[in-house]
Amino acid sequence: MITELFDLRPVAAPLISALCAFGIMLLGHHAGWRIALSLAASVVKFAVVLSMLPGALEGNVYRFSAGEILPGLEFAFRVDALGLFFGLVSSTLWVLTTIYAIAYMRGSHSLRRFFGFFALCVSTTQAIAFAENLLTLFIFYELLTICTYPLVIHSGTLEARRAGRRYLIYTLSGGAAILAGMVMVYQATGSLSLSTPGLLHAGIDERALLTMFVLLIGGFGVKAALMPLHAWLPTAMVAPTPVSALLHAVAVVKAGSFGLMRVIYNIFGVELLDTLGYHQVLAAIAAITIIVASLVALRQDVLKRRLAWSTISQLSYIVLAACLLAPLAALAAVIHIANQAFAKITLFFVAGAIEKTTGKKRISELDGIGKTMPWTMAAFTVASLSFMGVPLLAGFITKWYLSVGALAAGAPVYVGVMMASAILNAAYWLPILYRAWVKPPESPNPPRREAENLLLWPTLACAAYVIVLGLGAQAPAMPFALAQSAVAFAFGLEVVSP
Amino acid sequence: MIAVPLPSLLPLLVVLLPLLGAVLLGVFGHQRRWLAPLALGTSGLTFGLVLVLVSTVRQGFQPEIALMQLAPPMRIVLGVDALGALFALTIAALFPLALAYALKSLADDAHLKRFLALVLAAQGLMLGVAFADNLLTLLAFYELFSLISYPLIVHDRTPKALAAGLKYIVYIIVGGVFILTGIIVVYALAGDLAFVPGGLLSADVARTPALLAWVCLMVGFGVKAALMPLHGWVADAHPAAPPPFSAILSGVMVAAGSFGILRVLFEIFGAQLLGQLGVMPWLATIAGISAVLAGALAIGEDEFKRRLAYSTISQMAYVALAIALLSELALVGALVHISHHAFIKAGLFFCAGLIVAVTGFKKVSEFDGLARRMPATAVMLTLLALAMIGVPPLSGFLSKWLLGVGLIEAGGLLPLGVLVIGTLLAAAYLWPVIFRIWLPREDVKRAESAWARQPTLMLIALAATAVLTVVLGLAATLPGGPLELARLAAAQLIGADG
Amino acid sequence: MSSLAHLLPLTVLLPITAGVLAPALFHRRGLACWWWALAAAILTFATTVTLWRQLQSGSTISYPLGGWPPPYGIELVFDGLAALMLVLCALSVLILLAARRYVEATVPSSRQSLFYALILINLGGMNGFVAAADLFNLFVFMEIFSISAYALVALARGPVAALAALKYLLVGAVSSLLVLLAVALLHAQTGSLNMSDVAGLLAQAEAPGASALALGCLVVGFLVKAAIFPLHFWLPDAHASAPSPVSALLSGLVVKMGIVGLVRTRILFAEAEIVPLLMLDNLLVWLGVIAILAGAVLAMVQRELKLMLAYSTVANMGYIALGIGLATPSAVSGALAHTVYHATIKTGLFLTAGSILLCTGLSRVDDLRGLGQRMPLTSGALVLGLLAATGIPPTAGFVGKWQIALGALQAGQAWVIGVILAGALLTLGWAIRVINSLFFRPPARARVITANEAPVSMLVPSVLLAVLAVSAGLGGAILLGLVEPLALAIVGADHDH
Repeated sequence: MITELFDLRPVAAPLISALCAFGIMLLGHHAGWRIALSLAASVVKFAVVLSMLPGALEGNVYRFSAGEILPGLEFAFRVDALGLFFGLVSSTLWVLTTIYAIAYMRGSHSLRRFFGFFALCVSTTQAIAFAENLLTLFIFYELLTICTYPLVIHSGTLEARRAGRRYLIYTLSGGAAILAGMVMVYQATGSLSLSTPGLLHAGIDERALLTMFVLLIGGFGVKAALMPLHAWLPTAMVAPTPVSALLHAVAVVKAGSFGLMRVIYNIFGVELLDTLGYHQVLAAIAAITIIVASLVALRQDVLKRRLAWSTISQLSYIVLAACLLAPLAALAAVIHIANQAFAKITLFFVAGAIEKTTGKKRISELDGIGKTMPWTMAAFTVASLSFMGVPLLAGFITKWYLSVGALAAGAPVYVGVMMASAILNAAYWLPILYRAWVKPPESPNPPRREAENLLLWPTLACAAYVIVLGLGAQAPAMPFALAQSAVAFAFGLEVVSP
Repeated sequence: MIAVPLPSLLPLLVVLLPLLGAVLLGVFGHQRRWLAPLALGTSGLTFGLVLVLVSTVRQGFQPEIALMQLAPPMRIVLGVDALGALFALTIAALFPLALAYALKSLADDAHLKRFLALVLAAQGLMLGVAFADNLLTLLAFYELFSLISYPLIVHDRTPKALAAGLKYIVYIIVGGVFILTGIIVVYALAGDLAFVPGGLLSADVARTPALLAWVCLMVGFGVKAALMPLHGWVADAHPAAPPPFSAILSGVMVAAGSFGILRVLFEIFGAQLLGQLGVMPWLATIAGISAVLAGALAIGEDEFKRRLAYSTISQMAYVALAIALLSELALVGALVHISHHAFIKAGLFFCAGLIVAVTGFKKVSEFDGLARRMPATAVMLTLLALAMIGVPPLSGFLSKWLLGVGLIEAGGLLPLGVLVIGTLLAAAYLWPVIFRIWLPREDVKRAESAWARQPTLMLIALAATAVLTVVLGLAATLPGGPLELARLAAAQLIGADG
Repeated sequence: MSSLAHLLPLTVLLPITAGVLAPALFHRRGLACWWWALAAAILTFATTVTLWRQLQSGSTISYPLGGWPPPYGIELVFDGLAALMLVLCALSVLILLAARRYVEATVPSSRQSLFYALILINLGGMNGFVAAADLFNLFVFMEIFSISAYALVALARGPVAALAALKYLLVGAVSSLLVLLAVALLHAQTGSLNMSDVAGLLAQAEAPGASALALGCLVVGFLVKAAIFPLHFWLPDAHASAPSPVSALLSGLVVKMGIVGLVRTRILFAEAEIVPLLMLDNLLVWLGVIAILAGAVLAMVQRELKLMLAYSTVANMGYIALGIGLATPSAVSGALAHTVYHATIKTGLFLTAGSILLCTGLSRVDDLRGLGQRMPLTSGALVLGLLAATGIPPTAGFVGKWQIALGALQAGQAWVIGVILAGALLTLGWAIRVINSLFFRPPARARVITANEAPVSMLVPSVLLAVLAVSAGLGGAILLGLVEPLALAIVGADHDH
């Protein structure tokens, strides 16, 4: 039974980050203030978000409304299971990324701007997670785009500006599509609330429904890097590593996936979508994305680019899982938010640490790096094995539920896709591991030169989390039960504790 | 916390102990004097614990412990039944020997510590496979030890080893993907993955998916079990790996594949369903062809380790053949043969390693007159080779006898014919070796070379396998020995449904 | 009629009187004149606020001048459109606040008092135009604010400004003539000038052709005033070359008078079934669509900041016209809300652009590279204003777009949504160029490197308006609630079925 409680915490969480951003803009001249504010805010926010977990597990839903901003449309936050799950992932990772960023960005220019917008991005991500209706979600979705822009073009080079422009063109066009779809939904139903398992109903003109689906999915699909809307992601990797890590593995792309899930589960709803059958097309697109992006990733030599293409591929797991409309697959979709985030951020951290410590960016330069940076590469190994779907690691859980769900949904072909993807993942991760561990380094006995501690510890923490997540229900702060209750809500099932 | 009876903790302990040993080696192993006590200590202690477990199983008690949920509602469950105990006993006995051998044979290797730690870890994981009480747990441990074997195969970093490693990893990953697919189909069909004597799947299950699952699982485990035509990696990986690990590869790793096949056939599908599906004749045919063909190929191989590798393929094919007949007697033979073959083949690889270490000879054609230089080794080699051929009263004879009885009881003359031909072929490829080392051709001057010093530790390990071969052949009814366990296991697996 | 109603004529008379007196009282004493003008504007604002509160508690306030009852006498009304008057006054105060430094630096001291006077007269004219309830006064006040606007444009120095002022004057005069013609025609038809009276009488008018002609004249006249594409050609030059506070005034407020005129026209003809209002609506939709796209594209190809902003005004007037043309309650209320919001945004943008121009002397976007480091607050305000102009939620620019899109759906013209969004994206196209220049590129001009933050009197209005522009969208529901009765009145006639 779901009980709605009025609470300040849903709004406090994004607000903390926003205030932190404000404080950094004001006081950020001094490194000390910058660091203190960023760390304090990230920890406090994590605590606030976490404090909602016990209640959420008991079935409470926290809600905060700031009143109507448009007729019939509130500016409101509501923490349900799905939102809290995403919120927990992003706030956990913010803590780690902040520590990493402090070390990584040391000595860069415009740090005040950097950390300020960094905090703003997290704030908006949190708000996206907690948005009560599509309008609130959309507001922060667009703000996220804007706040990320300065981070993407942080270096200010021509390449960065080009990437930034491309990023904006793609994401804002996507935003426009969402807006159009949102207007149609509102016109058809008089509401945009995300608190129901399916806002639209079968009585609406089917052409209109199709248009809404295309617009909303297309819009969110841009940030979720669904092919053919993915082209911004690889170029946006010019951003500093902490940015690529948090934003392009977690915040931005996940906001897209999260939006897609909201559209599928809360706007259309499982039942309606099942009768309409649009999900099948989307699932096919997602499957194609998974395979094609992996194939492209195979050919990338720059490490971060390979990571980017892998992200594109992995994100479509979420879409595919959500589109199968089977409870088990939906579970995979929810959990993969966390799984992909932790594994991918580990990889990005490692890529950044290698670049920062040795200056190497290309995979072909990584021969024997396992000898010089064993701990860093150990983290990399764990995360990449997770992507390959090795059991006891996070990625396996996704593959498992997705495949089982695909069978339950009567679409065994996607089991094949999963398996093909596993092999492709192996094909592009293992060569890196091979170079790092097996190939001899250029100089016969290179000195051990591990990344500095502030870079290393967050990386290891993330890698450890990949393992913890892989052990199933035991992950603290990202409990399986939460994902289950999110799925149960979307499918109208009774929550059964296993 | 629920009180867990101590014996239930034993399987967990047995799995964790070698892993702990591996960690300890990693931490303290830079001091060479710690290597031997740590490696042999943990491995030996594990063996002791396994013996305790075997005795509990003999008393009819089957300890079981359910650990965390891997993918809720599926848990990681470790349990011991007769089959698992038999396999665990083989593993636990063989590994200390291999470790002892490695301590000497790789004494000059800079990466001895790494090798030992990885071998210990592989032991723990392999014991996990033996104790896995559901298919998911089995998959988890199976995949992990498959992956951890890769660095062991490419340990020497020679181009040949690297090529063999690549071949191995490709086979293993593709095989793993097949297994995963099969497991997912099984889960979709049954909603569970527990090993149930007599078969998890009910007899009225849909034919096509059941067939699909069967094919996937057979292909997946068949890769490891070196079932033709999936044997491609075996002949390359064995010579490439360091001798102690070749022994493990051939002795228990290949057997792990057969073990998986056993589990799947008897405890997932069940004899009745398999009969309905009508697939076992196919498996029997493939196994039969495999046995004969591999034996024939072995004759043509000049390199000793490759010859032994093909011999392994051939011997494992008997096992598969016996399994495919679905009769209790044949099954007893198969199980005993797995265990006996492990020690014989491990001993033969130890010999091969010793010969290379002392003389540098790898090819059979170079072995002329070896007996004079290495008399002890030559004696043992002869003994083991004879056992392999199946000369009474050695262990090889016993298992082949049991196999033969089972084959004739269940399948008539044709399978028995395969066994006979296979044995003749074994004689054909092993006899020349014996012949050459004792009776060199006249023109070979090397034969006169002096008696060479042989490393004691390696000889001891070799001697242990030889002694085991004799003991197991003479005192087959040893309480807690392979035969008794095999009978128990066969009764559990097949006896359950008559 | 409460005693407070006497305040209504004050909103018109106070600024005009103060404006007329200013040159006489404060010749060559610019600063004192500024204080005078500011005081007058604040007083007017206070008056409007009082009236507003009265309106909130009761019904429409109307004031018959000289005590003659309508339709014979002259009447001023304070109705739904009066929300606009509130905005007019408030923004004028801010414009005046920012104008001081700018005027001191660019206008010769002999003309400074004239400048402030014209601004006050302009404000009075606009207030009168909004409040006028009869056609003739509508025309008179229109002339007052128009002529003061021509003069204000002409106050800038340089040949471009002179030419622009001339163009503005000629076009404005033609449009005024058209309106006058229409007033005459209507009077001939109905014998009355009071608008509510005329609206009732038009239904029985004998010569529908003449009524239609009057409608055409009014529409074209006001379309010119509202600078709806393709009748916008006078606007970019005039707005870009005028002194920046004047640009703010013109772009933020004066063009909106054309919209007020259109709204009045539409109400006027709402009950007259002889006249094809549907055609007018369609015309507005199409012109609006073209204006949105053309304005945005033209803004994109500009190099000068103020020209970009001017063309953006063209595009935004297109949104408003589109909203009114769609003629559904949502769309019209969206258009009205956008009128208010766009006034806020564009005034802020032009004031900020003025600050930059004054502090650096640079007007081309490419020259402004790296200014974000030297003038962070001003540049930040500009960025916020630009974001609001593109209509990113929850900024002020979003509300109108949302409502108009909703209205388009209600009117069954879903394709319009595509145009609205395309317009927003195109706007973003040039806005990003500005933002990039300001913040993410190294300085290219020495004057940028030596520039200092703008003086407080310019900074306060800029930042205040920027913050408002970004956050006012959150109050969208309130504003839409306020304009809803008016929107219903506008669409009332054909929305019954």
